[in-house]
Amino acid sequence: MKNWFKSGAPWIWMTAGAVSLSLISVLGLLLMIAWRGLSYFWPADIYEFQLEQGQAQQKIIGEVYDTEEVSTKRLREAGLTIPSSAGESVERLLVKTGNREFVELDFRWILETDIKSAAKTTGIAVFERSKNGNFYGYVKHVIIDGQQADAEKLESVIERAVDINDKALDLQNDEIGAINYRLEKIRLEKRALELEGELTEEVKTQYQAEIEELNKNYQEYEKELFKLRQAANRDAVVVEDMRGELVEIPATQILDVHFPNDMTLLAKTGRFFVQIGKFISDDPREANTEGGVFPAIFGTVFMVILMAVIVTPFGVIAAIYLHEYAAKNNVTKIIRIAVINLAGVPSIVYGVFGLGFFVYMLGGSIDELFYPEALPNPTFGTPGVIWSALTLAILTLPVVIVSTEEGMSRIPSSLRQGSLALGATKAETLWRIIIPMASPAIMTGLILAVARAAGEVAPLMLVGVVKMAPTLPLDGNFPFIHVDRKFMHLGFHIYDVGFQSPNVEAARPLVYATAFLLVTVIVALNITAIGIRNHLREKYKSLEH
Amino acid sequence: MISLSPEVTKLHNAISPNELSAEQTALEMRDLNLFYGDKQALYNIDMKIPKGKVTAFIGPSGCGKSTLLRCINRMNDLVDICQVKGEILLEGKNIYDKDIDVANLRQNVGMVFQRPNPFPKSIYENVVYGLRIQGIKDKRKLDEVVETSLRKAALWDEVKDRLNDSAFGLSGGQQQRLVIARAIAIEPKVLLLDEPTSALDPISTLTIEELINDLKETYTVVIVTHNMQQAARVSNYAAFMFMGELIEYSDTNQLFTTPAKKKTEDYITGRYG
Repeated sequence: MKNWFKSGAPWIWMTAGAVSLSLISVLGLLLMIAWRGLSYFWPADIYEFQLEQGQAQQKIIGEVYDTEEVSTKRLREAGLTIPSSAGESVERLLVKTGNREFVELDFRWILETDIKSAAKTTGIAVFERSKNGNFYGYVKHVIIDGQQADAEKLESVIERAVDINDKALDLQNDEIGAINYRLEKIRLEKRALELEGELTEEVKTQYQAEIEELNKNYQEYEKELFKLRQAANRDAVVVEDMRGELVEIPATQILDVHFPNDMTLLAKTGRFFVQIGKFISDDPREANTEGGVFPAIFGTVFMVILMAVIVTPFGVIAAIYLHEYAAKNNVTKIIRIAVINLAGVPSIVYGVFGLGFFVYMLGGSIDELFYPEALPNPTFGTPGVIWSALTLAILTLPVVIVSTEEGMSRIPSSLRQGSLALGATKAETLWRIIIPMASPAIMTGLILAVARAAGEVAPLMLVGVVKMAPTLPLDGNFPFIHVDRKFMHLGFHIYDVGFQSPNVEAARPLVYATAFLLVTVIVALNITAIGIRNHLREKYKSLEH
Repeated sequence: MISLSPEVTKLHNAISPNELSAEQTALEMRDLNLFYGDKQALYNIDMKIPKGKVTAFIGPSGCGKSTLLRCINRMNDLVDICQVKGEILLEGKNIYDKDIDVANLRQNVGMVFQRPNPFPKSIYENVVYGLRIQGIKDKRKLDEVVETSLRKAALWDEVKDRLNDSAFGLSGGQQQRLVIARAIAIEPKVLLLDEPTSALDPISTLTIEELINDLKETYTVVIVTHNMQQAARVSNYAAFMFMGELIEYSDTNQLFTTPAKKKTEDYITGRYG
């Protein structure tokens, strides 16, 4: 035993154990959020339960969301009648029944002991709707252009409805959106001229003409939109719900329909991926509890890239000064320690600073100087994506500075001397030799910065993130990039869906799915940066002496 | 005693370095003292370096020969605590004058270091580095310089087909010749070689020595070496330094065959160093 200790083997076991433990926790975490998040997209079987509580009989259609064991004693104490045949505990199922407008809750718990029968009946349809969540039931017939038609026409009805909805949405967002944007611009331009006292009658009539033109266009588009909506309104689907009543669902509200109990494994797999695709590319609906997260993905990536664009030059320039030009004395040492310690400041503090300094002071001044026509409405003097990017840029600045400095000190002094000996000045040597050779280290700093920034939520809540942003920071209206706009962020989305949602049960799987997506986005950003770094490393591989 | 090549023996009757006329002198050091902080590293160096010849600095490790070499292109400026007193005249002008542009000086006084230090660029870009610094962009001119410099450095035939490959793909000896080509591409007046073969194998060393022999046609070459045979083989003049002082300076043949000072004799007969 003593020899075994002496041999150093326990040491190896201990270190290896520590590594395995970290590995297991990381993998476990990833697997858990991946499993829980991804299973949300799998088309679950729909059961038809026959319940019997005493004399009352009830039919329930829905998918089983969760199960748990509850002790019989506790249920009896709660005033429920449990048959004496039940053991210590009974199973309780959480069923998603949908049909929110007809039942009080679209989720309900049912006791195992109440279930008389449960069956995966074929023909149960699941409708995804733009309002009120899912609807479960049997399709009886469809209504096309006000005329009753066979249920087999369901597919064409949905196709048409989706098509019309898409067209209407495009019209609303693009054409009508552009007109509104232009009208607002004209209002601001007019106000700006007025402030400068240059609003002549001539200009006024010119603007008036343009406004009239725009209004005319607007009315045309509106007419078109009404026509589209009317066309869609004439279609509907009639469904028999779990109460046994016929319900008419307007086709405009239907986004999708599927029959999970009739699907083959292959069809289910196909739908699984389609659903994931929709989650990634769609806008959220119903207070973020339904639909996709595209604006949040876009916002996260856009903000992180903007931050990287800001932090890299700043960090590199600061590192160059500290490493190359600053005198090597105690003041420099203190500055360096201060920079490193900046990385340890809690991120919410940066958020407060960003709000006070960037949003109110800087943004407020910009508004006064450049956007007086919009006041009292703030343009830049309000949280926005540029302020978020700047705040996170300060937050991650130390990381970039430290790793750039390290990279520069790793460059052999012989190369520096070689360049100087050829008649290059210090600045030329920096530009041609040192910075290119330090670029892998700069990239390392950037990777760390991106990893930290993409996961940061707390400061963003103060300087630009919102629950629901009506427009993306990038669109077809000049100047295309609108850095003053508020944006959505995956990290905040998780918080919002998980804790601020009106429908906790519906939101839970979305929390996991979004969390998994956030991890995926961060990993993707990192892998991109690592790829670039490895390419640079290969290019500037140091001499092997 | 060290056997000398016939070529060196031929130079036996060369003029003593102290009797060089102004035209024959490339560099002149006057009362040069150098301090690292409080520590003095060079003491009252007075010497004339002949134009178009190879001058070798020899001496034991730490004797100040590299330091002296680095004074000539002001590489010592990079050391914060280093202080130089005295003058070095290049074409009659003191290079330590305040109005001297150091970058310009280094274009006139090229330097090759102990270890090959090619830049992480292509062979071509390495050679034209100095020209690009000077702002020369004309592709034809650059191509021409690359060929002549690489030819002079006896490397052209080995690399002419892969000028755009990374310089790191070359062997140590090739890299050192590339660095020499890089230094002569900007046509300096003086070429400083700081133990250029100490990191190389014997065959590469031989190639470099032959190269040095060719270079003296065009350039004034100053070489630091701790290899006495090498000094004897390649140099016309040799200076023996010891503890920061210039002990003896004469033509190479004389220094190795009939040293005037006891310390020199002790050193070249291998009693220390």
